[in-house]
Amino acid sequence: MTSGRGPFRVRRERALLRALLLLATIFAGGCAQKGRDSSLNERTPSPEHRKPVVYTVNYPLSYFAERIGGPGIEVVFPTPADLDPAFWMPQAEEVLRYQSADLILLNGADYAKWVRRATLPPEKLVDTSASFADSFLVIPNAITHSHGPSGKHSHAGTVFTTWIDFTQASRQAGAIYDAFLAHDFADSLLLRRNLEALQDELRDLDSSLRSITQKLSGQTLFASHPIFQYFARRYGLHLVAVLWEPSEYPAQEQWDHLAALQKKHAESWMIWEKEPLPASRQKLLQMGIKSVVFDPCANRPSDGDFLSVMRANLENLRAAL
Amino acid sequence: MREVFYLATRYLSYHRVKTAILVTSITLIIYLPVGLRVLANQSRAELIARAKVTPLLLGAKGSPLELTLNSLYFESEVPDPMRYAEIARVDSSGLARPIPLYTRFRCRGFPIVGTTLDYFACRDLRLKSGRTLALLGECVVGWEVAHRLGITVGDHLVSSAENVFDLAGAYPLKMRVVGVLERSYTPDDRVIFTDLKTTWIIAGIGHGHQDLTNPATDTQALQKEGSTVVANSSLMQYNEVTPENIASFHFHGDPRDFPVTAAIVLPKDEKASTLLRGRYLSQKEPVQLVSPRELMHDLLATIFTVQSYLIAAVLIVGLATLATAILVFMLSLRLRRREISTMVKIGGSKGRISAILVSEIVAVLVLSVLLAGGLTLVTSHFGSAIIRSLILS
Amino acid sequence: MISLNELEFHYPDGEFSLRIPDLKFETGESVAVIGPSGTGKTTFLNLIGGIVSASAGKVMHDGTDLRSLSDPERRAFRIRKIGLVFQEFELLEYLTVLDNILLPYRIHPALRMTPALKARAVELAAEVGISHDLGRYVDQLSQGERQRVAICRALLPRPSLILADEPTGNLDPRNKGKVLDILFSYVEREGATLLTVTHDHDLLARFARVVDFSRFHAETSEQLSPPDGAR
Repeated sequence: MTSGRGPFRVRRERALLRALLLLATIFAGGCAQKGRDSSLNERTPSPEHRKPVVYTVNYPLSYFAERIGGPGIEVVFPTPADLDPAFWMPQAEEVLRYQSADLILLNGADYAKWVRRATLPPEKLVDTSASFADSFLVIPNAITHSHGPSGKHSHAGTVFTTWIDFTQASRQAGAIYDAFLAHDFADSLLLRRNLEALQDELRDLDSSLRSITQKLSGQTLFASHPIFQYFARRYGLHLVAVLWEPSEYPAQEQWDHLAALQKKHAESWMIWEKEPLPASRQKLLQMGIKSVVFDPCANRPSDGDFLSVMRANLENLRAAL
Repeated sequence: MREVFYLATRYLSYHRVKTAILVTSITLIIYLPVGLRVLANQSRAELIARAKVTPLLLGAKGSPLELTLNSLYFESEVPDPMRYAEIARVDSSGLARPIPLYTRFRCRGFPIVGTTLDYFACRDLRLKSGRTLALLGECVVGWEVAHRLGITVGDHLVSSAENVFDLAGAYPLKMRVVGVLERSYTPDDRVIFTDLKTTWIIAGIGHGHQDLTNPATDTQALQKEGSTVVANSSLMQYNEVTPENIASFHFHGDPRDFPVTAAIVLPKDEKASTLLRGRYLSQKEPVQLVSPRELMHDLLATIFTVQSYLIAAVLIVGLATLATAILVFMLSLRLRRREISTMVKIGGSKGRISAILVSEIVAVLVLSVLLAGGLTLVTSHFGSAIIRSLILS
Repeated sequence: MISLNELEFHYPDGEFSLRIPDLKFETGESVAVIGPSGTGKTTFLNLIGGIVSASAGKVMHDGTDLRSLSDPERRAFRIRKIGLVFQEFELLEYLTVLDNILLPYRIHPALRMTPALKARAVELAAEVGISHDLGRYVDQLSQGERQRVAICRALLPRPSLILADEPTGNLDPRNKGKVLDILFSYVEREGATLLTVTHDHDLLARFARVVDFSRFHAETSEQLSPPDGAR
């Protein structure tokens, strides 16, 4: 950004003259303000009995908010269950509902691309991963392109599945607690107790995962999508990501690409975010690659909750290994 | 008395040109200083009111007056931009809440102000129809914008090119009107409000285009090397944000470097305000933090000194005009000597004859006072609109 | 009856004086006053009308000495009892014909404006032949019409004395006759006294008496007697 130009006298005099003219003649008309009906922000003071309303951009945050806030807080996560919240684009009406919330919990790390394309009230936003933003990971092989004279630029380079490193998940929970406390959403002791209970469970998950993944320490794993980087970093794994959809049988060039990668890395595991097709699993096995499912649980599970899904993930790993 | 006024009005209406000139002159003598004073007082109140609800303004180093006038009234020259990082710096201080403004662009003569929802709450702006901003590419217009352009919810506005040859700079963006504000009798009535990010799109910092990873756009690719795609100039960039293409809109670069022209800074309390102002006193700071209220007070003190001189000048001219009017009356009396003599000869009473002459003067004065009063009322009611169209358009 | 007794008037410039030892006019008498210019005929009328005050002597109107009245009293007396007609008409240009006729009723509280009065003014205008001009301004009228307006103004209050100073001086022969007809008709009808200053000797035959005013010049002090052949 350029800083200020040289001397400002000419511009100041011009501005002064304009102000002189402005004042010599301007702005009568009274400031009569008639009665008004609707506020732009539709903020009506909530009655004492109305629960604070908290909107989130993914299910893990929703779960943490419910655990910490307890029944005294209404948590809303409007993304349809069959869509990936990271790439969901809400309609205007849905954005307006977000605006009406008392708090909006963001994941940070450029998760929920729609946030940059929508208008949200800044004072209600809570970036739950701001405290460890300096340790975000960037996808090194994100698509880049350029056009015109402006040069290269890239898209969505930051890894956004922060919560599958459970220490980061715990910090995100802590950020939610801080926000609830600052807004006086519930009794501070209750919030504290709830947070500690959640963090204890996350800590247990973390230590369990560390002992499970010790067996894979130093190994390189294939990953069906580049979303397990924090998981890999935390638990000492090396991942090579491909772009395979669990619900689709990979194309031949994708198999060829995997085969080529296999020559460089003698991986015997591929980690999937969802259960792959049996045919995919079978073919991988033929190539000497076992499949294991670790569901990041970005959206609400059909049954269970975040912790039960994570525990199931741990069991999958334990069983596979 | 009725007969006296009858003769007086007969005389005045017969000599209507002379009467009109006298009435006009005296009306102006009365109206000018009063009208000026009314305008000045209303201006002062309006300026101060606007400045009072704007505790602090943050902007690039430069003319504080220009920063204030542009940020409060959107009509003076656009100040140099500052980095968005400065906004974040204020926010992270915990001392105040910043409301960014980007006022670089215009549309059909009206300023486009990129900001956040906080602005509307800060200025207590209410919706008359439609809804508030929700997505990129939308705008909410002030009452006067809607009134003058005949705009309603669902219509579109296209931002103006900054210059005719603006080939590689700001892109005209077609924006959808989603809301019209109630009349606020403030400069906000003349503004087209958008999300700050929408103005960054107009500035060309953000855009939307076809997906270059899609094989259908291969003809737009100059070169593909691994994960890098270089597109040619045939790549279509969207000049309107629609539900179908909104997902393609993105920004390039670090948002901390994106431009804003100012920020309204709302300190938590007086102590926070003082602390903040202290932080920005250093000459090395690339930005300045000004108090519009203090600036306006100083400006008004200067300008109202000028106003006093203006009024003094008007009064002197007024006295001269009044002396001329008296001379006209006296000459008129001399010319009417024969008429007066006739009335005396046929027996008119001194009292009646004197009353007739005095009534003529009183009638002229009363009419002048009434006209001046009417003009003053009109001025107080319509002054701002008239002046805005004469001076600010 | 009007009588002047030992009347003296000294002009401000002191060049000459007016002395009238004794002069009487009977009620209903029509008198023409003649004489060279500058002999004080207009002053004479002004003295009788109470417009100016004599330096000495009496001006009696039916027993009332005008000299004993104050200026406001003289004005009130004049506007009710004396009608004045001038050579130059002396109309107000900014009033209509009707308003000029009604002028005396607007410039003195002793005379009150009433609807009946306005009707009478219209009748009077019709009598003298100017009823179709009532809404017009006087500068739109001929000389003869203007003088008739002035006469209507003088006659509306029903004065008992009419003082006419060269009423036909600016008129053509036809209008001269009309004007005098109007005055004499009023005199005959109302029994008023008419004193007319005139240079027009063709009209003298119509008057009951002619007074040669040159005899009242300051150097002479002759008492006047009614001329031979007066009616």
